[in-house]
Amino acid sequence: MNRKWVAAAAVATALAWGGPALAQDIRVGVPTSLSGPWADLGNQVKRAVDFAVNEQNAAGGLLGRKIAVEYLDSEGKPEVARKQAEKLALSGNKLLVGLIASGEGLAIAPMVGRWDALYLSTINKTDKLTGDTCQPRVFRVNRPDAADAVTVKPWLATRKEMKWAIMANDIAWGRNSGESFSKGAQSLGKQIVSENYAAAGANDFAPYIQKIKDAGAEGVWVALAGRDALNFAQQAKQFGLLDKTTVAGVSFVTDNTVATLGDVSKGIYGIVNYSSTLDTPANQKFVKAWQAAYPGTEPSNFEGETYIGMQVLFEAIRKASSDKPGDVAKAMAGATFDTILGKQVMRAADHQLEGPNFFGIVAEQGGKLRPVIQNTIPAAEALPPPDGSCKLPS
Amino acid sequence: MTIHILNGFVYGGLLYILSVGLVLIFGLRRVVNFAHGGLFMVGAYVGYAVALHAGFFTGLAAAIAVLAAIGILLDIGVFRPLQRHDPLLTVLVTFGILLILEDLVRSIWGKDYVTVSVPALLSGNVEFLGLQYPVYRLMVIALALVTMAGLTLWLKRSAIGLHVRASSVDAVTTAMQGVNTDRVSATVVGIGAALAGMSGVVAGPLLTLSPSMGSYILVDCFIVVVVGGLGSFTGAFLAAMAIGQIHNFGIVYLPWAASSIPFLIMIGVLIWRPQGLAGGAST
Repeated sequence: MNRKWVAAAAVATALAWGGPALAQDIRVGVPTSLSGPWADLGNQVKRAVDFAVNEQNAAGGLLGRKIAVEYLDSEGKPEVARKQAEKLALSGNKLLVGLIASGEGLAIAPMVGRWDALYLSTINKTDKLTGDTCQPRVFRVNRPDAADAVTVKPWLATRKEMKWAIMANDIAWGRNSGESFSKGAQSLGKQIVSENYAAAGANDFAPYIQKIKDAGAEGVWVALAGRDALNFAQQAKQFGLLDKTTVAGVSFVTDNTVATLGDVSKGIYGIVNYSSTLDTPANQKFVKAWQAAYPGTEPSNFEGETYIGMQVLFEAIRKASSDKPGDVAKAMAGATFDTILGKQVMRAADHQLEGPNFFGIVAEQGGKLRPVIQNTIPAAEALPPPDGSCKLPS
Repeated sequence: MTIHILNGFVYGGLLYILSVGLVLIFGLRRVVNFAHGGLFMVGAYVGYAVALHAGFFTGLAAAIAVLAAIGILLDIGVFRPLQRHDPLLTVLVTFGILLILEDLVRSIWGKDYVTVSVPALLSGNVEFLGLQYPVYRLMVIALALVTMAGLTLWLKRSAIGLHVRASSVDAVTTAMQGVNTDRVSATVVGIGAALAGMSGVVAGPLLTLSPSMGSYILVDCFIVVVVGGLGSFTGAFLAAMAIGQIHNFGIVYLPWAASSIPFLIMIGVLIWRPQGLAGGAST
């Protein structure tokens, strides 16, 4: 008898504390990199999801129900991501967001339908996710590599540097970004003199840096993120590569890496997919609320992108009047969403959200070193039209 | 070519300073210490925290002192009570300690990455062998050589070195000769941990600090220890320098296979020379 009372008291305590998600809650599953080389990005995803869920719950939830979120560590590894996403989906958290590496997104994409789930990418960049491996239950709100290539090209056309090197992660995203940049550069008559793809979690970039110097590169395109981006930047500075060569990249100099690197990052060019400095009323309202929730911080590139993903997800649930993944997917395809970057359309043809993209340089702004936007590519031009490789059932 | 060789020695030097602590502890305690990566990481953070207020070199000294104390406590509190148990149990306990250290650092310094600047005294480049090369990187090579020479002298010429060598061969007989082997063990584990702490601080301006940084480099260290021969100081030095060169030249000439070459070498050594390249040579 005593044991029963103890068990009942334990359950009651757990529920009072906040406890596990309840069956009637709208349940979101977040498999993301809470450890590994992209743990920093995973923590940004977690902050943004927590913020969006808390904000929505404070406003009464969705469809009169509370939103519950569950996290599992994907470690940045495709096989772990698949296992964790499956665990989340099969335990009822069928609305999935938050994977970091493109390989992770590609690993779960073919399985999402089988789990009767839905996956919304907010970070994965590989074109394949909305290209030849697109899936009816997979959507993307963030800008893919193809959009970043469109964004960097006008800047590249103005540059006098003719010899370029690639320094990227040896994963689906890094390879895709390197290839997209190479195509763009070669179409402008520029030459790729050195291509380097380092394993995720690399410690020593000195041999790559020396190879780039030996090749006589005048510019370097960097597609590294998280710890790899920091290791490369720090070591490239010591070898004088950052001072003597024009360096640009994607996910390389984000708000967080700039905050960590300080002056080392000054003068590096890069793609900016989201910035807290964007002067739209919706974005400024978001930034203000963010600062109240996380004092002393501003939403970063990946936090902004993830928040947009949550806005799209919540609005799709509202449009569907259901949180069943099949209903949400139907409501999402082809719909227009009101986001902090304005109204954006989720293309029905490939499930890619249309939106603007930005290019900038790390410089002082408002007394703070940050990626400062120099060029805005409007939504109508930022995303190349679907290339026809994505075949979704009509 | 010369610059690639130097880069190989820098990475090899860093691996040596870290691995030799692992070798010291294994040589005496017969413990494969998974917590060694955690000690490296704690050393890096302690050095960083002290350096913020008192400069890089004070941070280095503080990390060495703190990690030596942690090493002594590790020996007294963990290795000694477990010395008569199944070695697998000790391995599991050290793995648990690694996870605890990671969480501890995360709770003190947070999840965000941290970078450490090269100290002003060692910043910039210097002409070496006709090349402009970062001073700090040359210092890493020099420190590895000094560590190698210092440890060799200590083990071969000092009385405690003699006790360490004797204990690593037969601790019971050594104790019967009147040597306090518990004190010898605590000293060795303390020095091994201090070397891990020193390598953590030295790695600071080269690698980004994160609670999981120890796990990233520990794999390379185990390759060094296995290739060199478990418990062999000479082997660890030769293997670390060789792995450094193979790592560099692999990236330059065989980039598609660079990350797998050290593993292939380790597998080859385990098959054809399981005692390692210099197994037992200097222990």
